[in-house]
Amino acid sequence: MSQSLRPYLTAVRFSLQAALTLSNFSSQVVERHNRPEVEVEHTSAELLFAPMHISRNEHEQVLIEPSVNSVRVSIKVKQADEIEQILVHKFTRFLEQRAEAFYVLRRVPVQGFSISFLITNRHTETMSGAKLVDFIIEFMEEVDKEISEMKLFLNARARFVAEAYLGEFVY
Amino acid sequence: MLHLRPHNLLVQKTLSEALEANTNGTPLTLDRIVSDFDYTTLHISNAPENKGVLWLSIRTKAWQSISQCGSGLVEFILTKYSGLGGVSAARTEPGYDFTLQVDLSALQPDAIVQLSLLKVIIMSFPFQLAFDKVAQLMQLPEGSNSTDEVHKIQYRDDENIFIKPSNDRITVIFETFFQDETDKVFGKVFLQEFVDARKRNRSIQSAPQVLFSHEAPLEISRVVNQGRSERSKRFITFVLFPRHFQTPELQFSSVCHLALFRNYFHYHIKCSKAFMHTRMRYRVDSFIKVLNRAKVDEEDDAQGDASRRTISGRKMVY
Amino acid sequence: MEDWRRIDIDAFDPDSGRLTLEDMRPPYGSHVSLQELQPKISQLRSAAASGDFKTAVQIAMSDPPYSADDATKFQYLLAVLEVLTQVRQHDISTILGQLSLEQQDVLVKYLYKCMSIPEGQKQGGILLSWFEKLTQEFGVGPIVRYLSDKNTV
Repeated sequence: MSQSLRPYLTAVRFSLQAALTLSNFSSQVVERHNRPEVEVEHTSAELLFAPMHISRNEHEQVLIEPSVNSVRVSIKVKQADEIEQILVHKFTRFLEQRAEAFYVLRRVPVQGFSISFLITNRHTETMSGAKLVDFIIEFMEEVDKEISEMKLFLNARARFVAEAYLGEFVY
Repeated sequence: MLHLRPHNLLVQKTLSEALEANTNGTPLTLDRIVSDFDYTTLHISNAPENKGVLWLSIRTKAWQSISQCGSGLVEFILTKYSGLGGVSAARTEPGYDFTLQVDLSALQPDAIVQLSLLKVIIMSFPFQLAFDKVAQLMQLPEGSNSTDEVHKIQYRDDENIFIKPSNDRITVIFETFFQDETDKVFGKVFLQEFVDARKRNRSIQSAPQVLFSHEAPLEISRVVNQGRSERSKRFITFVLFPRHFQTPELQFSSVCHLALFRNYFHYHIKCSKAFMHTRMRYRVDSFIKVLNRAKVDEEDDAQGDASRRTISGRKMVY
Repeated sequence: MEDWRRIDIDAFDPDSGRLTLEDMRPPYGSHVSLQELQPKISQLRSAAASGDFKTAVQIAMSDPPYSADDATKFQYLLAVLEVLTQVRQHDISTILGQLSLEQQDVLVKYLYKCMSIPEGQKQGGILLSWFEKLTQEFGVGPIVRYLSDKNTV
């Protein structure tokens, strides 16, 4: 793991640990409703906690928005050039289309971020909070690795293909 | 499969079947339409009066522009087939550009490959004109041996091939554009590798030089119609030197590869995308596994309750 | 016409009981203005310039301008960011060890705040090492207190 990645992930880990103290909380506005308050458009301010910004640089950031019964975690994945941009877009869309298998994945990312998770009290009741944090951390590590590997693969393939084609002209 | 084959596999297969059935005495009834790259359609059908005779018709987007490159296209195609028994010209079928008549009783099995190369043979006509022109220019003295002749093959709606002969080389320029944004970026990566491949790998030093630009190269700036989608256009230039077209065999092989350049490189873009798709699928599975590890196993708790027993072995009841 | 189904009618109801961020601010006796804060900012800068980061951080983390308006807070924030990014990696732990409980909480607020503005994001590396050392030293406590503290910086 690179030297600057570790403090980044540590910061996310501690912030998430602190934020994942969720409790069951029924809606104060609509009877028999129970909604993730962080997603409610005009929710009352006492239900929201201070948002946490963690940034490694301009391109890699995490925003954690905690509330009384839900936490929204948004991740901005590094996109150095247009290839990475496309790969990140394709990859996150691929994940979002399978959101129901992921329980905690939000189908649409928060404006300005690549991918968002929404963890509610329901999730922390059925899953171990520490493992959920592990999942988010592992996800962040793997996504970076995956994107750069795919980019390398694309270049390698292009190189191989071009050489194979031009090799046909060698007489 | 790394390389695309120049011949049409389906035509080859159909003709082989027809030939075999005919020698067995039970000629097939055929009316088969076969597609090829770049809006090309081939039609194989029986002649109306005789099942032993087939018509092979072709319609291709490039036909019109190729026939304008110079006179003698039909004659050129027929010379390619003249040595083969049983193949002759026929009246062109309506809706198609060119028709060959194949007499199965006189057809040699070797000729089938040649027949399935029909599209490439049509595409090779302007190249042949260029090869001839170079040979002609090389004889002329210095100073008078240039030409501004440019052949244009319009093989897709907005994509063209330009062929410019000069006294010591042939410049082949592909004008292409990408409809899809992703393809555009991937295409850029691939094209860049085409440009760099020759410099990097010594074993392919003798391959044609490849250049890549966003603006029309000087050679063809006169003939390119400037206009729509100007910004998304790309130009790929191949420079063929005499060593690439010294003998008819070399000429043919060069033409085969050049004619399939666009298909080859789009094919590999699609392949890369497909590979990435599989890879993402795998990665999603592994993420789900990690997430499922987070689940607290309720079975275990239930088990714990059920296994609560008194010291004498009786189950606890609540 | 505006989509009337989407109109938030509760916003017009004084009895709805809904609170806004403004309502959540603790009542401050007086409001600090930029002029009043200026001496403190220059004190910060001079301490940092003379290399005495321990004092600079101590000053920065004591009595932050909670009651000031946003523009004033931002000026102060920039000064704090400057101090924090000048500190050398291996000095961080010693400085942290001398902070009181309140000062730790204030530091967490400033770290999060700094990372949310573009000026701080450029310095992400050093801010993150502050954060790492902080969690090593004091654990998750200051972060939990940050979550529900309505005194913002």
